[in-house]
Amino acid sequence: MNKNIILYGAILIFGIAAPFIFPAFKVQLSILCILIILAITWNVQGGEMGYNTFGNILFYGLGMYLCASVQVGMFFPLGEWTEGGGEKTFVHTPAQFFQGFAVGLAVAAVVPAIVAGLIGYSILGLRGHYFAICTLGLGVAAGEISGGIEIIGAGQGFTTPPFPNVDRLEARGEFFYFCSFIVLVFTFLAVKAIYSTRFKLVLNAIRDNEDKAEAMGIQTMKYKIIGWMISAFFCGLAGGIMGGLVGYIDSTDVAFDGREMGVFMVLMAILGGKGTLWGPVIGATLFHIFKEGFWTFFLGWQYVALGVLIVVIVIYFPEGIMGWLREKYPERFGEVVDEADRKAQVTLK
Amino acid sequence: MKIKNIIITFVSAIAILFSTSVVSIAKVVGDKIILGAAISLTGKYSSNGVHTQNGYNMAVDRINEMGGVKVGGKTYKFDIIYYDDESNPKRAAQLAERLISQDGVEFMLGPYSSGLTKAIAPVTEKYGVPMVEANGASRSLFTKGYKYLFAVLAPANLYLDVAIRTAVELNGGKGVRIAQAFEQDAFSQDVRLGILDAAKETGSKIIIDDKLPKELNDMAATLAKVKATKPDVLVVSGHTKGALTAIRQIAEMKVDVPMLAMTHCDAAKLSKQHGKNSQYALCASQWHKTLTYKDDFFKDGMTYAADFEKLFGYDPPYQSAESSAALLVFKDAFERANTFDQKKVRDALAATNMQTFYGNIKFAEGGQNVDKPMVLFQVMCDDAGKCENKVVAPLKWASAELIHPIPKWSER
Repeated sequence: MNKNIILYGAILIFGIAAPFIFPAFKVQLSILCILIILAITWNVQGGEMGYNTFGNILFYGLGMYLCASVQVGMFFPLGEWTEGGGEKTFVHTPAQFFQGFAVGLAVAAVVPAIVAGLIGYSILGLRGHYFAICTLGLGVAAGEISGGIEIIGAGQGFTTPPFPNVDRLEARGEFFYFCSFIVLVFTFLAVKAIYSTRFKLVLNAIRDNEDKAEAMGIQTMKYKIIGWMISAFFCGLAGGIMGGLVGYIDSTDVAFDGREMGVFMVLMAILGGKGTLWGPVIGATLFHIFKEGFWTFFLGWQYVALGVLIVVIVIYFPEGIMGWLREKYPERFGEVVDEADRKAQVTLK
Repeated sequence: MKIKNIIITFVSAIAILFSTSVVSIAKVVGDKIILGAAISLTGKYSSNGVHTQNGYNMAVDRINEMGGVKVGGKTYKFDIIYYDDESNPKRAAQLAERLISQDGVEFMLGPYSSGLTKAIAPVTEKYGVPMVEANGASRSLFTKGYKYLFAVLAPANLYLDVAIRTAVELNGGKGVRIAQAFEQDAFSQDVRLGILDAAKETGSKIIIDDKLPKELNDMAATLAKVKATKPDVLVVSGHTKGALTAIRQIAEMKVDVPMLAMTHCDAAKLSKQHGKNSQYALCASQWHKTLTYKDDFFKDGMTYAADFEKLFGYDPPYQSAESSAALLVFKDAFERANTFDQKKVRDALAATNMQTFYGNIKFAEGGQNVDKPMVLFQVMCDDAGKCENKVVAPLKWASAELIHPIPKWSER
């Protein structure tokens, strides 16, 4: 228990100090936080519940558009802001900017959760590949539809309110870093708390054998929907922050970016080890570092390098890093190993 | 509980990794002026990204060969740090941040496309980094009050304005019926706004107004409608892929339309790729090699085109020419400012008034170039099937007469 507190304390201190230790990396660090949030929330579905979704990008993009729209719409006419690719510019006062952003984030969390509930009710009856393909369509459809809605800028894109002019040049980077870091801590603690309840066991039961779980009297549909709503809540928050951080929302390239973010969140969770609490965190961190490294040192070949990394993961770490560690050092995960018994099993195989 | 140790080791490993990679490159190292640029080397804009990069590189080499930049009595050479933005605005904004805060770049060159420029401009503006960009034409870039953004090109809404006006003129001053299809991106949508304005002013009617997806490779639905409604003008804009798709399918479906106006014909190397099928297409262009502008570095358009072809093996599209011009603008501004102070360089840029092989360059308040008109060229082929782009409007630069209406497919 003591060690736990030391560990969490160390990470927390590192998180708070990071933007000051590495002032040049604030944007990368903020994106790292966002990636970890996405990986953790994907893991609730894909890892714990066994429903491989590509649809979480829908909530991320929705959160992004909602947050920016609310932030603008609270003080200025949204239609005029986005008209003609954003020809008119209204300037937010600092108070308006932060108020708008706070309310925007709240909306960006709640609405996607409600949407997840509604969509989930209709498609969570699908299983396996059917569910994966269906959710893949959700993200693509959302991208195309939002690219046709004039009030949010359609194909022209949506420029989010510029950060108010304050004297400190670093203020913007620090603000978005701490927003994403706080949301990350909040997400992690919430998911950790949820994983310590019966809820997680139900999700695992659904993953392992949904019919049996149902036969035991668990209302699986209810749990599946709630699980997805929790994911959507945090995905929306992550999207809202990301929109402000990037400063420009494009329907298919930034918001409903299923090709990149949508795939990355799956990849990160698998790299770290799905179905574990720390797996997605480690996976996302490693992935981000590798990616940034590849983009710097293998310019032009970065996707090839990334592809090789994925192949290596699949071949050597099919269970992810946490899964591999667990197999290698089971006693460190608190598992009692009877050496004789293990040997006997190996010989049997 | 030893798993915690692993995590602790892991966290410290990341910390070390981060701290070792903090390498800052100052903007002027020794005798080098280092410019930063995020360019689309992969993704949907990769071909135009390469045109842009080729243009930048050629100008850098040329300026360096011809004596470099003289500031404060010392001679400097240009150098560019490139990153690949994958044609993705999110990535581009991130890279701009990285170029400025990690690599210490103090002067930037623009990316390819309006969308990416829109994503980068807020970042350069925040840090007060002067950016001369050559490929972001969206009108909304110039109405935001950006102080550090300078574009050597004319805004996107003017691209096909001339085409509509010409069509109306040829129609005896009466409004025409326009069919249009635009990709869902910032640039093409801005071209669309320009057409809407022109249509309103000339009393023309828009009978088809379609949106094309990004990564487009099919517009048969639009063309089927065009076949049925017989408009006077068909306007298509969607970067390189839009131009290629339109020509391919118009030829396949034998769509007859009196005027076909497009963008990106030269970037798509239409006349080379589609030969006679691309004949009569009317294209908006920022530049054409036959224009008679001159400067000391590239002499004129024809010489630029010949030198470019020697280096890269193809005729330069205007995307390359305008990119080269961006460096001429930077050189000129550095020398006039005679310092590397960002504010002073910015003021020098704002006061730019020069002629390059690409055209006259003079920036308006918003940063757009107001001294250079758009030109329209038409793809024209001889009997042997050899096709060329010839300027047809404005009349001052025209090297051939506009062929209108386009002959029907049955008569070709």
